[in-house]
Amino acid sequence: MNRRDFLQSASAAALASTTIARAAVPAVKPVRLGIIGAGSRGQENLRQFLRVPGVSVEAICDIYPPRYEQVNRLVGKEVPHTADYNELLARNDIDAVMIASPVACHAEHVIATAKTGRAIYGEKALGFTVEDNQNILDAVVRSKVLFQIGHEYRYASWVREAIRRVHAGEIGTPTHVYAYWHRNGDWRRSVPSPDPDGKLERLINWRLYRESSGGLGTELGSHHIDMANWVFGEQPESVIGTNSICRYHDGRTVGDNVQSVFNYSQGRRLVFSSITDNAKVGCELWIYGTAGSVQITIEDATMYFEKNRSNKPTADQAEGKTVVERGVVTGASYSTAGEMPYRGPGEKVVVASSEDPTLAAARSFVEAVRGEHAIFADVQCGFRAAIACSVAHDAVFVENKMLIPKAAHSG
Amino acid sequence: MRRWLAVVWLAITLSVAPLAVAAAPSPSPLRLFITTHPAMGTEFTLYLYSASPAVAAAASEEVFDEVDRIEQLLSNYRNSSELSRINQNAGAGPVTTDPEMLDFLEQSEHWSQASSGAFDITVGRLMKAWGFFRYDGRIPMDSELEDLRAVTGWEKVKLDPAARTVQFTSPGIELDPGGIGKGFAVDAAVRILRADHIVAAMLSAGSSTVYALGAPPHKTGWRVVVPGPLPSQKTLSVITLRDTSLSSADCSQKNFTLGGHRYCHIMDPRTMRPVEGRIQVSVVAPSATASDALSNVVFVETPEQSVATLRAFAPDAHALIVSGDAGAARCTTFHWISHGTSSIDSTHCAL
Repeated sequence: MNRRDFLQSASAAALASTTIARAAVPAVKPVRLGIIGAGSRGQENLRQFLRVPGVSVEAICDIYPPRYEQVNRLVGKEVPHTADYNELLARNDIDAVMIASPVACHAEHVIATAKTGRAIYGEKALGFTVEDNQNILDAVVRSKVLFQIGHEYRYASWVREAIRRVHAGEIGTPTHVYAYWHRNGDWRRSVPSPDPDGKLERLINWRLYRESSGGLGTELGSHHIDMANWVFGEQPESVIGTNSICRYHDGRTVGDNVQSVFNYSQGRRLVFSSITDNAKVGCELWIYGTAGSVQITIEDATMYFEKNRSNKPTADQAEGKTVVERGVVTGASYSTAGEMPYRGPGEKVVVASSEDPTLAAARSFVEAVRGEHAIFADVQCGFRAAIACSVAHDAVFVENKMLIPKAAHSG
Repeated sequence: MRRWLAVVWLAITLSVAPLAVAAAPSPSPLRLFITTHPAMGTEFTLYLYSASPAVAAAASEEVFDEVDRIEQLLSNYRNSSELSRINQNAGAGPVTTDPEMLDFLEQSEHWSQASSGAFDITVGRLMKAWGFFRYDGRIPMDSELEDLRAVTGWEKVKLDPAARTVQFTSPGIELDPGGIGKGFAVDAAVRILRADHIVAAMLSAGSSTVYALGAPPHKTGWRVVVPGPLPSQKTLSVITLRDTSLSSADCSQKNFTLGGHRYCHIMDPRTMRPVEGRIQVSVVAPSATASDALSNVVFVETPEQSVATLRAFAPDAHALIVSGDAGAARCTTFHWISHGTSSIDSTHCAL
C-alpha cells in the first residue's frame, strides 16, 4: 500500500466510525508539494503544510545544501532534493509548489512555475521590483494558475472577524492605520566559517542587503500594508519614508529601522514603523475610525469605542428648579477621563478558534487546490501590497514622496 | 526581551580554528558570553564560548528563536499553539500533525508506558482542578477527581505515526507539556548549537533542565551544583557534565498551602493527587527530553520503583532522589556516586 492509498483508506476508516469523525476527517485528495526555497520561512510553511491532512512533500530545491538534511528531519523522511528549480519543476509527482526563496528570486521562480500550470503558494512579498511585480501578475493571470500569496494574517480568525466588524461600520469610518513591527534582535543569521569571500553571508543574510532585500519595510511591513489595503479597499497611492542604521553597524545596507507613511485616497493613511532594538510594542496594528479603534496583534484583536458625545439638547429637569434658578456650580475643570479615553480593557474580538495563521492559510490553499473554494489572498492582493513595498524600498532612501503605480493589467 | 551580557570569564587561546564569521589570521581567545531570554514561563540562560561577539550573538539569537518556536508548538497557554489545536480537536477525531509534534507525543507516550503512568501529559484538566494552571490553588472534591479520570490517562491518546495523526479516545482530554516541554526545547536548541559548530556551551531552562555541550576551556565539563534539601542553602552534590543533560524537580517554585499542608504542583496521575513525601530529584541523561520526563517519573514513583524504572528503561542515566522532609531527608541514588565526577554531602541527606 503506498502513501496515497494509505491516506485514502485511513480516511475511509475514519468516515466509517462516527459522525464527529466524519466532520473532522473528510476524505482527502492527496496534494503533493514541491518546495523552492527551504530556509527558515520555507521550513515554517512546510511544518504547517504537514499539519494539513493529505499533504506530502515530494521534492525540494535549495542552493544551500544544509537545507536538505534540515528538511529531511522536518518531514521525517528522505526528500529528493536539487539545486536547480527546473529539475524540480520537471518532476511529474508534484501538484503544487510552495515558493519561499529570497524575494529577489520570486519573479524567476513564480513565473517558471506558472508556466507549468501548477498551483503556487508564494511567500510574500509577491515580487522585489516594480517590474517584477507586474511580470508576476501578468504570468499568473495569463497562465490561469491558482496562486496564493503568503499574507497569512488574511486567514487569522481574529483578524478576519475584526476587519469584518470594521467593514460593518462598528468603528465608524476608518481613516488611519498605525502599524508596528518592533523587535530586539539584529535580524542576522549565523554564517558557517570559513566564508572568505562573503558568499555565504550574502546567501544566508540576504535580508540585510539592499540588492536582495526590501529590508524591514518589505519583509515585515508587507503584512501591514496588505491589512491596510484590506481595510481601505485599495492600494496606497504614494509613500514617503526614511530609514537609518542606528545600532547594527555590521555591513548591512538596509536600515535597522524604518518609518513610512502610505497615502490612500481621501487622505487616509497607513503609518508603519519597524525598529530592531526594542520589542516593547511587538507586532501590532491599530485601525482608527471615527467611532472607535481596533488593535490587532499576532494572537488576538480588541475593539475600543470612542466616547459618545451628544449635542442633542435635553430638557433641564433637575430637582424641580431650572438651572437658571439653582445656578451653575463652579470648580476645577480638569477631567483625566477626557485625556485617556482608552484606559480599560476594551472588547476582545471573540472567535471560535485561534489557529495559527500560517496553518489556516496552508489549509485554505490546499482546499483551493482540491477545488473546494477560491483563493482569498490571491495574486492581486499580493500585487497591491508588494508594489507598495517596491516603491517604499526606494522612498526610504531618497526620502521623497513617490507615487505607487497600479497594475497595468487588472486581470 | 533578550539581555546580552558579554562576560570575559576566561581568556584562553585555543589551538582550534576560530569561530568567527570570516577566517581570522590567528586564533582569537575564547570568551564566555551569557544571554538570557524569557520563555516557557521561566528564563532561559545560554552560556556560550566564542572568539567572536558577532558569532555568539548570532548563535544565541538562533537558539532563542528555536526555544520560542518550540514554545509556540507546545504552549498550553497559547490558543494558537499546535498543542492547543490538538487539545481542541483530537477529542472529535484524528488530527493530522507534523513529524516534530508527533515525535514529542511519542516520546511522552514512551515515558508514560515505561513508568506505568507515573509520567503522563494528559494531566491538563487535573492541573486545572488543583488550581495549578494559573496559580490559584484549590483542593478539588473527591467526586470531581473521580469524574476527571475519564479525561486523564495516557492510554487515551492514540497515535498513528504512519498517518501522522493523534486522537483522544475520550473527549475533553487536555495535554499539559509541563513535565517534558522544556527538555524538548533544550534538545532542539542544542541541535542549533551543534549545527553552528559551537563547541562549548551550556543552556539552562530556568535551571530545571540544563544541557552541557562540550566543556569550558581547560575543564573536563560544566559544573552543576545540586542544592541541599530546602530550606537549606547548603550544597548537596556537585556534578560535572559534558555532552549530557540534567533535570531537577522540586516543589519550591509552584505550590500552595491550605490548612497547614503544602500541596506540590507535581501530580501523581495514578492517585490524581499531588505527590507527597518527595523533596527533590535530579536526573542526568543524554537527552534533555528524557531527563526532564525522568525527573518527573522519579519524583512521582517511590525511590524503589524509580530505581527499577531507570534500570529497565534508562540504564545510562544517573539520579539523585531526596525523600522525607527537610529535617530528615533521605537520599536514594542511581549511578550517582559512580558517576566519577559527582559527590554527595551525606550530612544533609542520609544515604
